[in-house]
Amino acid sequence: MARTLVFDVDYPHPPDRVWAAITSSAAIGEWLMANDFAPELGRRFQLRAKPMPGWSGIVDCEVVELEPPGRMVWRWKSDHIDTTVSFTLVPTPTGTRLHLVHDGFRGPRGHFVSWMMRGWKGILRKRLHGVLERFETIVEGTALTPARSCR
Amino acid sequence: MPPAASKDVFRAVADPTRRRILDLLAESEQSVGELVLRFSMSQPAISQHLRVLYDAGLVGRHREGRLKKYRLRPERLRRVHDWSAHYAHFWTDKLGALGRYLDKPDH
Repeated sequence: MARTLVFDVDYPHPPDRVWAAITSSAAIGEWLMANDFAPELGRRFQLRAKPMPGWSGIVDCEVVELEPPGRMVWRWKSDHIDTTVSFTLVPTPTGTRLHLVHDGFRGPRGHFVSWMMRGWKGILRKRLHGVLERFETIVEGTALTPARSCR
Repeated sequence: MPPAASKDVFRAVADPTRRRILDLLAESEQSVGELVLRFSMSQPAISQHLRVLYDAGLVGRHREGRLKKYRLRPERLRRVHDWSAHYAHFWTDKLGALGRYLDKPDH
């Protein structure tokens, strides 16, 4: 039951400029979250946002692949998930395509999410037979979000 | 990355007693009195928990004679457990922010 999010975004800027924006702590702080990132293989760092009920606001990351100037992979752990995020840059005639894959959403993690999952499935079995099939498809299908562009 | 609309749901189910109440309501509708029998807690304490669940939209209630019966409203659970859906919104926002960052002339 793993899900993968895939995004392809075209930016009208050369790859070295996009690479700089995803491998500089200051830049990441502007477009993603406050952080103590450094572009070093094996670097452990945190991304921090404002906490809210249900989410600590902290993502523990590690640079697990670093191949300038086109590919970087982070391990991405937060409250209920242990996932990976990969950034791949591909030059295009008009600039750069960023291919981002957030992989490894393996469903229930931790007592909270597993309780919800068990609860939900139990409820469906008992009371919502028609909806069950549809829900299973949504959760267990490979949910690829369509490639999208921000401009 | 729970959106604001989900935060009450997270808060509501963070408590083990409330999770147990939802488990029981998943089995069948219950009155407060019936629920109290399953816990070593006072009726006001159970009522307070039900209030939190009700405010979060996780339970509904209706009158049956002179009793108020509570039932589970499962729709909201589905939305909050799906972390990948939250992250889909998250990355759409962030990759847009990256584009705006790149468009600024000073770097």
